[in-house]
Amino acid sequence: MFKKADNNALWAIGISLALFFIGGILTTVVPPLVDTTWAKPFENHDPAKGVTGKVVPLTDLQKKGRAIYVREGCWYCHTQQVRTLLADTKRYGWRGVDAPISTPDEFVYDDPHMFGTKRTGPDLARVGGKYDEQWHRTHFRNPRDLVKGSIMPPYPWIVNNPEEFKAMVAYLQSLGRGKDWRPANDYEK
Amino acid sequence: MQPQFSKAEVATTPEGALVHDDSTAKWFLVSSVAYFFIVGIIAVIIAAKFVWPDLMGTMSWLTYGRLRPLHVNGMLFGWLLAADMGLAYYVIPRLCGVKLWSEKLGLATAILWNVIILGAVVTLLAGQNQGWEYAELPWYLDVLVVAAWIMFGLNVLMTVASRKHQAMYVTIWYTMGCILWTAFVYLTGNFATLVTTGTNQANLNWMYVHNAVGLIFTPIGLAIAYYFIPRASNTPLHSHKLSMVGFWSLAFVYVWTGAHHMLHGPISQWLQTIAIAFSLMLLIPVWAVVYNLFATMKGQWHQLRESVPLKFLMSGVVFYLLTCFQGPMHSLRTVNAIVSKTDWIPGHAHMAVLGCFSFFAIAGTYFTVPKLWGKPLHSQSLANWSYWMLMIGGLGFFTTLWLGGFWQGWQWNNWSIPFIDTVIALRPIWIVRFVSGILMFIGIVMFAYNILATALGDQQEAAV
Repeated sequence: MFKKADNNALWAIGISLALFFIGGILTTVVPPLVDTTWAKPFENHDPAKGVTGKVVPLTDLQKKGRAIYVREGCWYCHTQQVRTLLADTKRYGWRGVDAPISTPDEFVYDDPHMFGTKRTGPDLARVGGKYDEQWHRTHFRNPRDLVKGSIMPPYPWIVNNPEEFKAMVAYLQSLGRGKDWRPANDYEK
Repeated sequence: MQPQFSKAEVATTPEGALVHDDSTAKWFLVSSVAYFFIVGIIAVIIAAKFVWPDLMGTMSWLTYGRLRPLHVNGMLFGWLLAADMGLAYYVIPRLCGVKLWSEKLGLATAILWNVIILGAVVTLLAGQNQGWEYAELPWYLDVLVVAAWIMFGLNVLMTVASRKHQAMYVTIWYTMGCILWTAFVYLTGNFATLVTTGTNQANLNWMYVHNAVGLIFTPIGLAIAYYFIPRASNTPLHSHKLSMVGFWSLAFVYVWTGAHHMLHGPISQWLQTIAIAFSLMLLIPVWAVVYNLFATMKGQWHQLRESVPLKFLMSGVVFYLLTCFQGPMHSLRTVNAIVSKTDWIPGHAHMAVLGCFSFFAIAGTYFTVPKLWGKPLHSQSLANWSYWMLMIGGLGFFTTLWLGGFWQGWQWNNWSIPFIDTVIALRPIWIVRFVSGILMFIGIVMFAYNILATALGDQQEAAV
């Protein structure tokens, strides 16, 4: 079969595509059909089944903030996923409570997805509710004023634009709150 | 310096009467080399921002988040893919024993490609980012990329269809494979993502990101290596059969591995396991290719002393072996728990795209440009220097980021260490990365100047 592809271009093209499509279809089209949690938003009201909560679509203001997050490329340095590793659940927890592991059903409304690949800064999957608005204002103006040694760029044009800043904070406060794992208004100083 | 040039020159013109136009290859190569230099400046700037985070920090369009996608897209599409396409326009007609199917279509492709790259610069700096890695460009530029790819593919496939020699050399298979797979991989990553969300979208995105390297840059890069290693050393390829093993196993195993970008993440465990299993199987095509190319050079290694293209080619093969060993190891859950999301990742990515595939493209450019313009390379010693600058800078870059990545990962895994302390600890690593980046950039400047001086300089200057 492969020998024939040496001399016959159509044959070579046919086999190349056939081999490619076996894996291509089985790993892209099939998985969402098999694992339905990819498309069903998280909802649980029974504490016996684990952490409770409900994932809802973003408000218009949060969506606007999310667009700024995408525009400024925040996702090149911040991931949004608490992985199935103690190092993640402990590090991104709050006052001794482990951060719940991120599951596909929490991200059904995410478009574009913001999972990320690189943590130059910390993970933001559960950052919602961690810092208050004043903290974010100071931090966006110059991160090094609050976190000595930080290498995050300053974003004065966001802080100086009240509309954008409000939207940005609204988005950040929504992150990871689909699962009720932490109290509201309990900010880090 | 001359013997190597003239010896190879004799070998490339067995057809005698057939004169190639090559204007498409020339345009692609010259513009890609120019982008290599321009985007190199951006690369150095973003490396500097890790050390001096306030550098140019108050202008939105010069922040890290805007420059990084420009660096990645500029290097991948402006430099590397364009250079690879330029070399394909040179290589394919010669292997087929005919002229390029349509030189006019080729020139139109070159113009369109430059329009896309310039459009990318403007839109990315303006923050028009779609939010997917490697697929940042807005949809209207994506449509132009598809059009350009069809034009390129049509030209190559029609040239192959009109070939004089019945048997197709391995370079032709890889080029055809690249054209076909790229079409589907690119559509998945740039268009199928538009109608999906969340984990489903991420899965398609990673399928594209992984196969942008595995089924776009790998096949076209190997096509170039398979052509230029035997050509530059005047030695026949070791084994045709082994090259078949490499090609067909690549076609089968690569596409399965996208989910290894989300190991331990919010994606089905069984899909992660499939991705891990196939990532390990990648060793088959890689080792088949590497053995074949090493065996070709058996008894011919002394040629590396004299030939800059061979130096780049064989170093590229070594980096291919290394980076494709890293990849499968990194996809093992235990190793992944340490290095995933760390600076190991850019170290690994740069060894593949710069250390291997860019080295192949640089070698091909050094080899073809003197032939295309019919005059000797502007300066052999400058070419040799460019190799050592890129090699030393590259090694400094790769090794510090691998070590730094492990160090960073171990620190993260001890959750009593505050995150910011792990950032401060990496500063020496980023300083070495910046200095290595400067060395690589000097290598790029030497390469670009040498090529442009050969192509555009007058005859007398070239003869010096």
